[in-house]
Amino acid sequence: MTPAQVPLAAWLLYAAPVTAILFGFFVMRRVKPEWTHLPILVSCMIVTASAFWLAADVYTGHSFDLNLFRWAAAGTFGVDFGLRVDGPGVAVLAMVSFVGSLIHLYAAGYMKGDPGFSRFFLVFHLFFLAMIGLLTANNYVQLYLFWELVGVASYLLVGFWFHKESARKAALKAFMTNRVGDFGLLLAVLLIVLQFKVTHFHLLYLKAASGATFDLLPLIGLCLVWAACAKSAQFPLYFWLPDAMEGPTPTSALMHAATMVTAGVFLLVRSWPLISLVEGLPHLVAWIGGITALGAAIIAGTKKDLKRILAYSTVSHLGLMMLALGLDQVGVALFHLIVHGFFKAALFLCAGNIAHALHQPTANVDDVGGLQKSMRLTYLSFVLAALSLAGVFPFGGFFSKDAILDAAWHHGGPLAALGMLVAAGSAFYIFRMLFLTFYGARPEQKQAPHAHEAEPILGIPVLFLALGAALAGLLKEPIQRFVVIGMRGLPSGLPELNLVLNLPGEPLLPHFNWVVADLGTLMVALGAFAAWRLTMSDPGFDWRWRGGFAESMFESDFGYKIFVDWLVRCVSWIARFTGRVLDKAWWDGLIESTNDIVRGAGAALASSAQGRVNDYLWWMVAGTALLLGKVLR
Amino acid sequence: MNLTAVVWGVTGTLFFFGLAMVTLRRQLLAMLLGIELMLAAVNVSLVHHAGLFNDAEALAVVALVIAVAAAEAVVGLSLILRVRRSGHGADASTLTELQG
Repeated sequence: MTPAQVPLAAWLLYAAPVTAILFGFFVMRRVKPEWTHLPILVSCMIVTASAFWLAADVYTGHSFDLNLFRWAAAGTFGVDFGLRVDGPGVAVLAMVSFVGSLIHLYAAGYMKGDPGFSRFFLVFHLFFLAMIGLLTANNYVQLYLFWELVGVASYLLVGFWFHKESARKAALKAFMTNRVGDFGLLLAVLLIVLQFKVTHFHLLYLKAASGATFDLLPLIGLCLVWAACAKSAQFPLYFWLPDAMEGPTPTSALMHAATMVTAGVFLLVRSWPLISLVEGLPHLVAWIGGITALGAAIIAGTKKDLKRILAYSTVSHLGLMMLALGLDQVGVALFHLIVHGFFKAALFLCAGNIAHALHQPTANVDDVGGLQKSMRLTYLSFVLAALSLAGVFPFGGFFSKDAILDAAWHHGGPLAALGMLVAAGSAFYIFRMLFLTFYGARPEQKQAPHAHEAEPILGIPVLFLALGAALAGLLKEPIQRFVVIGMRGLPSGLPELNLVLNLPGEPLLPHFNWVVADLGTLMVALGAFAAWRLTMSDPGFDWRWRGGFAESMFESDFGYKIFVDWLVRCVSWIARFTGRVLDKAWWDGLIESTNDIVRGAGAALASSAQGRVNDYLWWMVAGTALLLGKVLR
Repeated sequence: MNLTAVVWGVTGTLFFFGLAMVTLRRQLLAMLLGIELMLAAVNVSLVHHAGLFNDAEALAVVALVIAVAAAEAVVGLSLILRVRRSGHGADASTLTELQG
């Protein structure tokens, strides 16, 4: 395949956002800043259409992987800039572009009148573009480039209201934590170059499938998992994500649903042929995911800020994706990633609508109550998305969560129990949020008399997303096919991959299992009942036992945040020690002492040169005599 | 005792006296005189050997050495005068500007 045969849609995927951003920056921002969103919305439409076009292409077996040009070269090693349009990439791409475009549309209404309107849209679209690049990269270096670009754009968006100190801090925290993970990815890329001498995915897959042993592969896998843990907010490094709520709500929605956090899971999906070769590593991924999923679900049940509850819910669901990946169910992980993209975007935008209705940057469960009557459209969207999240039968989330629970069930042991507990936990926190926000007005809650339904530009995208979330279960079969295509290699030019990877023909999504489905639904019902009991049937329960020690535990994520703060203090102490003692006192002392040694030696030698002409003449005579003797002999 | 041996003896003695003056004396004028003495000794030796081998080039070198000696005397004397006028005296043992 040559560049000339690349479908137009693939070019548009890059061309449209780049053009829109450049046009927006150089023309619109100057001429008519409040219209900056227009070219960007057009670009969103083009990208979505292109993504679906490519998805259709791939679905009918026309995936491709192509190097467009050599980006950097050093001897025989080189980094190419290429396009890889294959099953997993294009499946996520279609979701990202569709959900992302709806969020763009929503943002046009939500951010209206903000002084930074045009800056917001330009950075927002850059974020989107970075994710498109990440999903279509065909080698690790290119992936790394867009990975970093996603990080930078998220930093700019989280810190969008930079006049607020908390926003600046959250942006820095998000960026720093991501740097920790980026370092892991950088190490992984360097190790891949060291070990394999190539960075292209398909060449790596071939090498990995060749059956040879690679000494550095465990280390590479570990570094990749490390990177994914930071980007996708997994257990040891999850804490930046809830703080990243300081950005405007559309940012949170885009970050949580479509772009940022799914990048880590996607990295693992891309690297799965490598990681699955490492003994024990998938198991580690599964455990990280399981622990994160349960922990975050519990913490989400204790939070009061609407966006924070959703943020922890994202962490929990990313954990579920990791769990599915760790159980070698790449298709299930992707399926859940896509369904999650729909319902989480819808939920975030609902939270945004509520905050918007209250004229606040963010809303708390104390602030609101009984919104069911005043915000009907938002209520409807929220219920659809919440049922999908909780995994109630006909809604999208049921199918993806059921697939994960099924995989865990087949694996058995503690992971299966963990999966069931997560199902109950997610039902608990989302129903608690639903009850507290939309039912009631509870005596403890401040009344929100000004709450009114959002204007159509805010309501319609949310409704579409919620409908998507409700119907996402229908995507199960297509996604299975996409994953089969992706895992079985690329039809054009690389048929041998099918043979060497030795993949099963009918794999990936487990078959429907009545036991698991029933048990999962039972867990959801339990969680929902607990939420109803604690918030509705016993008014004031949620408030009565808060405060004091319990509140401090809830605030600090059951002590983990305190531990992290302590860790940060330890590290900064080490940094200070290294800087002031090791570097300044010891090392600099050593350097300065060598200076003194040289000076002393110089002084000692200088004493032989007293500056007396006669001495020099003696030296001259002696030298001449020596030379003469040599010449005459 | 042939003439060559006498010339060698005399010029060698003169040369080493000159060398001794240059290296042992501290007065700049005496050191300059020593240099002149060494040059003169070498010149005498050169003249003798030029006659001995009937070599015209050696005589040319003698003329050159005389010229150099004259020039050196001019430069050297003026330098010594300059040093004396600067108030540091003309004693080499006190002129230790080059001390490290």
